[in-house]
Amino acid sequence: MAGTVLAAAVIFAPMSSLVIWSFAEKWYWPHLFPQQIGLFYWAKVIEGDMLRALQAGFLIAVVVTGLTLLITVPLAYLLARTPIPFKPVILMIFLLPQAFPQLPVFVNSTTLLYRVNQGGKFWGVVLIHMVGALVFAVWTMTAVFKSVPESLEEAAINLGASRLKSFFSVALPLATPGIIASTLLVFLYSLDEFTGTLLVGSPFILTLPVYMYRTSVGYELQVASISALLLMIPGILLLLLLERYMKSEYLSMFGRI
Amino acid sequence: MRPALRIASLIIALPPLAIVVWLFFLPFLSSAHLSLQRDGQWTLRNYHLVWRLYRYDVLYTLWIAFFSLAAVLGIAVILCGYLRIRTNRAVEFLFKIPLFIPFVVVGHAMRVLLAPRGTLNSVLSQFGLLDLNDPPSIAFGWLGIAVSLIWKNLALAVLLVLGAYRSVDETYLEAARNFGASAFRQIRDVLMPMSAASLAVAGAFMFTSMLASFSIPLMIGSGEQPQMLMIDVYYRINYQGDYGTANALGVVSYLLAMGVAGYYLRTITQKET
Repeated sequence: MAGTVLAAAVIFAPMSSLVIWSFAEKWYWPHLFPQQIGLFYWAKVIEGDMLRALQAGFLIAVVVTGLTLLITVPLAYLLARTPIPFKPVILMIFLLPQAFPQLPVFVNSTTLLYRVNQGGKFWGVVLIHMVGALVFAVWTMTAVFKSVPESLEEAAINLGASRLKSFFSVALPLATPGIIASTLLVFLYSLDEFTGTLLVGSPFILTLPVYMYRTSVGYELQVASISALLLMIPGILLLLLLERYMKSEYLSMFGRI
Repeated sequence: MRPALRIASLIIALPPLAIVVWLFFLPFLSSAHLSLQRDGQWTLRNYHLVWRLYRYDVLYTLWIAFFSLAAVLGIAVILCGYLRIRTNRAVEFLFKIPLFIPFVVVGHAMRVLLAPRGTLNSVLSQFGLLDLNDPPSIAFGWLGIAVSLIWKNLALAVLLVLGAYRSVDETYLEAARNFGASAFRQIRDVLMPMSAASLAVAGAFMFTSMLASFSIPLMIGSGEQPQMLMIDVYYRINYQGDYGTANALGVVSYLLAMGVAGYYLRTITQKET
């Protein structure tokens, strides 16, 4: 019991500070609670740039997720089922963006994107998000397809289905829970992505994490805290939703977000 | 493989591979190239500058990464041991929460919590544990960065270590208990040795991520020296436009990460053979 309380205190302490700050209108040190609380800053935020950053981030996340799914589901199926040459090399190439420090690489990627006129533009940010997100999609979906028993597809083929038909009517439906898990993983990754967006998107394309950073530097702690709280919500929702459905293997990939 | 399938595989594999090669692999390689260029000439001057200006930052970054890793693994190993032996679903769930909170939010939250006039000090001052005129500043220093990294990575560590512990057969633990082993002895003498490979892999994984952390030191670091390496790279580009030195610093960080990642890969391939 004491352990649980201690764990709760450790986990919630940072987040509770954010909650208090977002409702604080006047708060002087060293009082434990704000002298005056209210929704002043929430109203200010809703009228301001934050909503634009939120919308941009959401739109980018949706596009990133859709594109990633489109180009990785077929590849994952092939990696799981067919003897593609250089399979370990291919899997490793996707791992690189998460294994090496991203910032110095993305500095150079930004230059490359500006050369094709996508620096500071929507598609530039989408692409830089995909670089990091592809590994989540490819690795988890390959594992998902591997876990669908091959015998089921062979049975379909024995009954006369083509390879393509067996993919759409046997493999894909059975892989759906895993595909949903990796979709949500990619979506959350894109929503929360900071480094690439800061380098490629600034100052024209802002997502919520970059917006939050800019407001926190200017000592507008209430606005920054509200943005931070809003950023936490999709993550917590996902946690609650997936607590029932997600296996630990997928869960560990969230640690990289 | 039939030629038609071969061609189809190539076409299917091309888009995702192209994106990663174009926007990660090529820039990665060009770091090496750019680090040896200055004013259009081949030179080692950038590495001289890195040695002169940033060698303490390298040590600072390594210190933070090692300290945080040791703390995370130390806590996780013991905590998961107790969770493995005496199940506690509530604590397990609580420790999954930081997984879903992005690094930037963690940085900002920790700054608000640990700043000299932050909420932690404000709580402690209610109990008279602090001098109000000179509150300690955990944030804006190496300890603030370390605490943030520990908090965030503990969730991942608990997940991985508990998973490794759970794959240890219960009969081993029962045998130990029959010999009178306490919970601590069961952890130290059964669970830990049997999960050593998984622990090493998780450790390597987290070390490279801590080494390369950018958003957390950006939110919670101070503006003064020393800084973590990624901050140095960012400032060098943003305020001085010095791509040569920034890329040299990047190459140094790749080498540090490669040293650890190489070990990670070796352990993985050894496990599969």
